[in-house]
Amino acid sequence: MVTREEILDIALLAKLSVDEEKLDELTKQMMDIIAFADTINAYEGQTGEFDNINGLSNVFREDTVVASYPREQILKNVDGGENGFFPVKKKM
Amino acid sequence: MREYELVAGLETHVELSTKTKIFCGCTTAFGSEPNTHCCPICIGLPGTMPKLNRQAVRYAIMAGLATNCEINPIAKMDRKNYVYPDLPKAYQISQYDRPLCSNGYIQLQNGRKIRILRIHIEEDAGKLVHERGDTYVDYNRGGVPLIEIVTEPDIRSIDEAIEYVEKLQLIMRYIGVSDVKMQEGSLRCDVNISVRPKGAEQLGIRAEIKNMNSFAFMQKAMQYEFERQTDLLESGEQVVQETRRYNTDTGETEPMRGKEDAHDYRYFREPDLVTIETAPQEVEQIKAALPELPDAKFARYTEAYGLSETDANILIKYRRVAEFFDAAAKLVQTPKTVSNLIITQIFRRLSTEEQKEAFEIVVTPQTLAELIALRESGKINNNLLKSTLEQMLDTGKPVAALIDEKDLGGVDEATLREICRQVVAENPAAVQDYRGGKEAAFKALIGGVMKATRGKANALQATEILKSLL
Ligand SMILES: [Zn+2]
Repeated sequence: MVTREEILDIALLAKLSVDEEKLDELTKQMMDIIAFADTINAYEGQTGEFDNINGLSNVFREDTVVASYPREQILKNVDGGENGFFPVKKKM
Repeated sequence: MREYELVAGLETHVELSTKTKIFCGCTTAFGSEPNTHCCPICIGLPGTMPKLNRQAVRYAIMAGLATNCEINPIAKMDRKNYVYPDLPKAYQISQYDRPLCSNGYIQLQNGRKIRILRIHIEEDAGKLVHERGDTYVDYNRGGVPLIEIVTEPDIRSIDEAIEYVEKLQLIMRYIGVSDVKMQEGSLRCDVNISVRPKGAEQLGIRAEIKNMNSFAFMQKAMQYEFERQTDLLESGEQVVQETRRYNTDTGETEPMRGKEDAHDYRYFREPDLVTIETAPQEVEQIKAALPELPDAKFARYTEAYGLSETDANILIKYRRVAEFFDAAAKLVQTPKTVSNLIITQIFRRLSTEEQKEAFEIVVTPQTLAELIALRESGKINNNLLKSTLEQMLDTGKPVAALIDEKDLGGVDEATLREICRQVVAENPAAVQDYRGGKEAAFKALIGGVMKATRGKANALQATEILKSLL
């Protein structure tokens, strides 16, 4: 069960603004998503045997340095960060 | 009071010396401005795809082979979920039930084998910086490749724990997969420790001490924890299974709060990375390319070269020293002379561990061997050998520039007789003592002759002349 309040909390954390009239629809969608995860959990077909689902293996990159991003860009969406760091909020 | 036994297992994180991070091309260079070695992959932005560094896998396999592990033909990556600011994705890409290497061991000097359960690869977390009550994150270290080496609880003393880590360090340095510097964090240890009455079969309840970053702390933390757990058992209490941290200010271990409380990591297969398959031929190739390891060197030095165990241990402790020794020992008849000169004369100039590790000297194995060959053929004596080596170490000049034909010819008899006369005249006290029966006084006189001839005199000849004069 997901409540409207929980959707508002999630929106706040994600820094999204949610219209009041969209709230019921979003709540229902979130419940559908969680229900889908339950469907997967209910599946107990996995045995101990390892299953390489896509059949691919050994996709590597070489150990060659590629330029990193400029720090301004890395910190672009960060609230704070003037000193070059990602600040950690004290409490969520 | 009953006697108690310490039981410990170690989890050691070793940062691999790849040029780039494990899943992106950002550099792994240490000590730059915060967040300058970052890209969308290593700061965990949604929609980015990790790409596994081939060299990280190769290094991990090398580490496995050098510690007698089996290399698993199929390995995979998994997500280890936990929420902490140093982990931008809120999961660490690691390996859970299919690690790269399993079932190895490291053998200690006392013959005991510390079994290695597994070695897996994973990404390092970022670094938290605390400043005036605020916390900041630097993700430069985030995504640097690590191997985690997990032992069985086979360690039975603090000394064994330290010897295990030292040996692990040495092996990693030999194969060149990491610089394994505890103080810089490229080697970090977690110790699982429990106690049980001596002779008991069953293991006690263990506590885990996190992040030992020096041998001194490790020693103190294990000692404290051993006593704490022993006291608990003695007073009829139970040890609580928990994660503890060593407080360097109080010298005590204390329970940790926070991320370590959550033990359910909800591991699941990393969907963005495919399996790692290692064919037996590839394992053989990597094995063949490994350098000679410390144990093999030790055996060779003590058996083939007849060095003492103490001397062999000193030489193998530093990879470059061992390489220098090997190169020079091949060229001479008496490898033991090479070892003696390194350990006494050359090491006197290299006081710190770092200097011995770097072993930056101006003498080459070839010139040292040339000098030793002169001694072996009897053309120079020990004193001249030593004083010439000093000059070579000071100046880097070749042997030929320091020892001329006259030196090689030694001192002619007439000159030697004259010098002996002088020495006898200048040392009446020693002469008196010798005549009075003190054999030891003769040494002072011989020493005087050697000094006056810069060690070039033939000692036997000098002895004869001196005795005739007395
Ligand atoms: Zn990156």
